[in-house]
Amino acid sequence: MISKLVEDLKNGNLDPEEYVAKTFERINKLDKKINAFITLRDEEEVKKEVKESIKRGGKLAGVLIAVKDVISTKGIRTTCASKMLSDYIPPYDATVIEKLKNEGAVLLGKTNMDEFAMGSTTETSYFGPTRNPWDLERTPGGSSGGSGAALAAGYVDLALGSDTGGSIRAPAAFTATFGLKPSYGTVSRYGLIAYANSLEQIGPMAKNAEDLGLLYSIIAGEDDKDATTIKYSVDNPPGEIPIKGIKIGVLSDILEMSDKSVVNVIRTAIDKLSSEGAIIEETKLGYAEYALPAYYIIAMSEASSNLARYDGVRYGYSKHFEGNWIETFSKNRGEGFGMEVKRRILLGSFILSAGYYEEYYIKALKVRRLIKNSLDQLFSKYDVLLSPTMPVLPPKIGEVINDPIKMYAMDVNTVIANLAAIPAISIPAGFYNNLPVGLQMMGRYLSDTMLIGISINIEKILNMHDLTAPIV
Amino acid sequence: MKIKVDDQLIEKLQRLALVEINDNEKEIIKNDISKILEFFNKINELNLENVDPLFHPIPQGKLRKDEIKTPLDRDSALQNVKRKENGYIIGPSTVE
Repeated sequence: MISKLVEDLKNGNLDPEEYVAKTFERINKLDKKINAFITLRDEEEVKKEVKESIKRGGKLAGVLIAVKDVISTKGIRTTCASKMLSDYIPPYDATVIEKLKNEGAVLLGKTNMDEFAMGSTTETSYFGPTRNPWDLERTPGGSSGGSGAALAAGYVDLALGSDTGGSIRAPAAFTATFGLKPSYGTVSRYGLIAYANSLEQIGPMAKNAEDLGLLYSIIAGEDDKDATTIKYSVDNPPGEIPIKGIKIGVLSDILEMSDKSVVNVIRTAIDKLSSEGAIIEETKLGYAEYALPAYYIIAMSEASSNLARYDGVRYGYSKHFEGNWIETFSKNRGEGFGMEVKRRILLGSFILSAGYYEEYYIKALKVRRLIKNSLDQLFSKYDVLLSPTMPVLPPKIGEVINDPIKMYAMDVNTVIANLAAIPAISIPAGFYNNLPVGLQMMGRYLSDTMLIGISINIEKILNMHDLTAPIV
Repeated sequence: MKIKVDDQLIEKLQRLALVEINDNEKEIIKNDISKILEFFNKINELNLENVDPLFHPIPQGKLRKDEIKTPLDRDSALQNVKRKENGYIIGPSTVE
């Protein structure tokens, strides 16, 4: 637990030199296999910062944290796992990084991800795929796969991810860790390299629900630099909320779309929650099969617009300079972006072009409204909506990457929360053939701390927390 | 709506998106776009006539006071620029 780590570092029970050295030793030993980091900072520099930070104090004084490489870090290369930004060094920190530094956290390195966060397996990275510490033949999920793997491999206790359609929760589920997609507007996106603004949030990842809550309480809050943040703050880390009496709607239409192996594990977990006094009822989300195409239409449209900024002139891949601007931009973008990114930009451009805007984009936004309305109704009856986080077990490397539809289908349970701006948490539910299965809970808008509080109770009931993959 | 994904459409999209697709990629992209559009057509099963589109979860933006804030200094702002001269960015030609 982080609170104990901070205490130990402060009172000298844990030598900061040793803490950092052991962390680097483990990473140097294992990360050739796992590939969780794109950029790892210099060990001596990190040691010095940890020692200074312990002296200064703070809720995370001296604690090492891994940060997804989509979040801008002043002076530290931020690549978005793309050739386009492979040498980009931000001149400023994202707001969440400033907040972490103010509380004494020390950045360890930048984690691997799908290129521009577009993918569900961390295989579209320009820097090669990340492997799942629980089974090196399999993916850790994505797009925040490096952050999930860094936790499961025992490198760090805290990580940051970002979630546009499940990118925090997929890796949390596949690596037996905890991840929260916060309510939209509660965490600043200033310094988050944009993919789909109306859907995405930065969020915490950890190995137990208490640490997740602590990290969320630090990064959440209104920010003048992000006009989409709301008046909101979490003054103290959320405390435990007993599951007894909590009304849980189990989404049967989502369960039907999930593999039997996954459903088995989830059903067992639900039985345990029921015997602890949770009030369980089966219900249906409705529109479940329409959420996925609607999500991808919206995400690709926003992506094509957001990624227009990469022209190689102000920053980024810039090999070509001859000819006029159309040729120059097209060549640099053609070579700088990977296949999945190009696919999404081209499709987004198509969807937003004359004649198709109404046919696809507007219709998708109407489906988004229907889903939100349906959720509003469900939350008048239930405190939380429960389902598997992912409908499948972690796929093998290469299994889904060449079939976009198959890859997109993995996001069917997770995109709903992004479309509706509500919070969703993924916590470990159990294992099937030694492969992690995650349980997702969605709550009303701004019920983030309640979801965390309930999770603190559930992690004890299921005895699933602080898990590290048995990798040597 | 059935869309014909042919070379002509891919040409048009390359120009719209300013992304060059090489010959090796063209067939894969054509095939993928065709499959993905079919997947998108699923939403046409719903009657959406009287539904308002939901563009953004936050209904309106907010304004801040019109006060001067210290921006990045020029050298920091330009530190990632590959081609620059006297504090200016050199861009590609905008005339034929």
